[in-house]
Amino acid sequence: MLHRLESLESCNYNGMDVAVLERQAARLKWQQQNYVVQNNNLVELCASSMPQFQGLIGSNIGSGQMVQLKRPEVFLGSGDFQEFVNFPVAGAEFGDSEKLDLVPPEAAADYCISRTSSCQMTALNTSVMKEEREDMVLEKMESTTGSGRESFNKRKPEAVADHKGKNKRIKGEGESEVKTKCSTEISRNSSKENSKASEVQKLDYIHVRARRGQATDSHSLAERARREKISMKMKCLQDLVPGCNKITGKAGMLDEIINYVQSLQRQVEFLSMKIAALNSSVQFNVENLPMKEFPAYVANFPAAAKLPAMAGLPYFQLNPLQKESVNCMLNESILPAQTATEGIASASVSISEQSLSSSSMTQLQPFSTWNMDPQGSSSNLTVIFHSSSIVRVEYIRIWHLIRYTPDTDTS
Amino acid sequence: MNKYNPPRMNPSSLRSRFATRFLRSLSKINAKKPTASSSSPTEIFRRYRRIKVAADKSMAYSVRSRRTWSRAMLWKLRTRPCCRRSVKTSTIVRKTRHEKQNKNTTTTTGEDGVVFGVEADELRELVPGGEAMDLYNLLDETAHYIKCLTTQVQVMKKIADFYSP
Repeated sequence: MLHRLESLESCNYNGMDVAVLERQAARLKWQQQNYVVQNNNLVELCASSMPQFQGLIGSNIGSGQMVQLKRPEVFLGSGDFQEFVNFPVAGAEFGDSEKLDLVPPEAAADYCISRTSSCQMTALNTSVMKEEREDMVLEKMESTTGSGRESFNKRKPEAVADHKGKNKRIKGEGESEVKTKCSTEISRNSSKENSKASEVQKLDYIHVRARRGQATDSHSLAERARREKISMKMKCLQDLVPGCNKITGKAGMLDEIINYVQSLQRQVEFLSMKIAALNSSVQFNVENLPMKEFPAYVANFPAAAKLPAMAGLPYFQLNPLQKESVNCMLNESILPAQTATEGIASASVSISEQSLSSSSMTQLQPFSTWNMDPQGSSSNLTVIFHSSSIVRVEYIRIWHLIRYTPDTDTS
Repeated sequence: MNKYNPPRMNPSSLRSRFATRFLRSLSKINAKKPTASSSSPTEIFRRYRRIKVAADKSMAYSVRSRRTWSRAMLWKLRTRPCCRRSVKTSTIVRKTRHEKQNKNTTTTTGEDGVVFGVEADELRELVPGGEAMDLYNLLDETAHYIKCLTTQVQVMKKIADFYSP
């Protein structure tokens, strides 16, 4: 396979037919080698510099012979490629071959293996991976050649059809698409078609393979890659939106997402309405309150909330110098379980949401009747307000504005 | 001495950024409200609008320009037609509406377009700035938008709980 890629690289000019025959021969070669390791190496090396690549090629030649990397047919091992004798030799790439450092096979294997382990591949058997590599090589071929792209496209259907025939033989069954996230610099630089190419190191691109009986032109492959990306995105969204686990199918998922976004937006509107209504009952007559009462007040906050005796502590003023003591006191309030508060809050929110959907101002009544346990909220606010000093200042300002007498007036 | 160290929140998280900005704007809104007519429905409605805008603006500023939806929302908030603003602003708004109509003609093409046509358009209307995005980016923006909306709802819930008697 290395030689295949090698020859692919060499195909930058013409000699497209080489690739097809190469592949066939190479397939035979593959069955005799450890393809997974080599494959990983191969495609990876495609993106990297030639010398590396050719070093591995040399090392991976079955016979272990040193290769003169001047002609593609040399790498194909067997004598199948006599017809390639007239094949024009690649220009610069092969020229570079002279400078190779041939990596010893063991090191190459280790290199391959390490790359393999870093790959993120969905579980496959090696035969599948072979086909993967072949496919990727196909697309790699497509991607690396600039001028010959059209001719590559023409040849691709027959190559892939060939592929599929062999796939059937090798695997015995139709294989589902393998999704791997791969990237190479080449594929990055190329068009969308190339996004399906090669090896796994980073997680940018999705590899798509043509299934048996499916269209194999570049447009449909690109379309399929796009769809794979979209379905992956839908899976991420499924985690975000609660209650989407049971829904299969994109249309239902999208409906669920739309409903969720709408409900969130309505919740924001409703909460801002609630804050506006609650703020309206705040009065700005501020009286001095001794600081020592403040800790006691906050500590007894849950009890105080339920007592109408809260009316006894309506207003207070915080000295900036006492900020720190306030903060220390606030920090001491331990976070209680928030679930009850949240549950009550969400239930009341949903109820009031419906009431507010009519956007009637008379619906402000529910605000006053809620007796939500502020214990959780105060400590939650502590967490919110704890970190930044700016927020602490704001918190103190809010304390200025807050009125603690329950508002039972109905409009 | 035993010191209780409460769980520290990340000061640069989205939540703290949004909470800071929103509280600041809330205090500004509260500062300028007149005490006389504070409980009339119209006054409450006006404050509700201001608070909602403040919430959206705070969230969009917390995200800065990193996301398309935040940019679109900030732009929308800056050029929204305020009744007392000059005519110039409204003409700009009219122009952009025209542009938006042109953009709306782009729908998801390809095989997916058949499946996602209606829902994708609905999603585009919901997510700010979604009119000119293809489906993949739209889903990306939707995911981030959902995350920010949930943060917003949580913080506002806690503030509202704090205010409630």
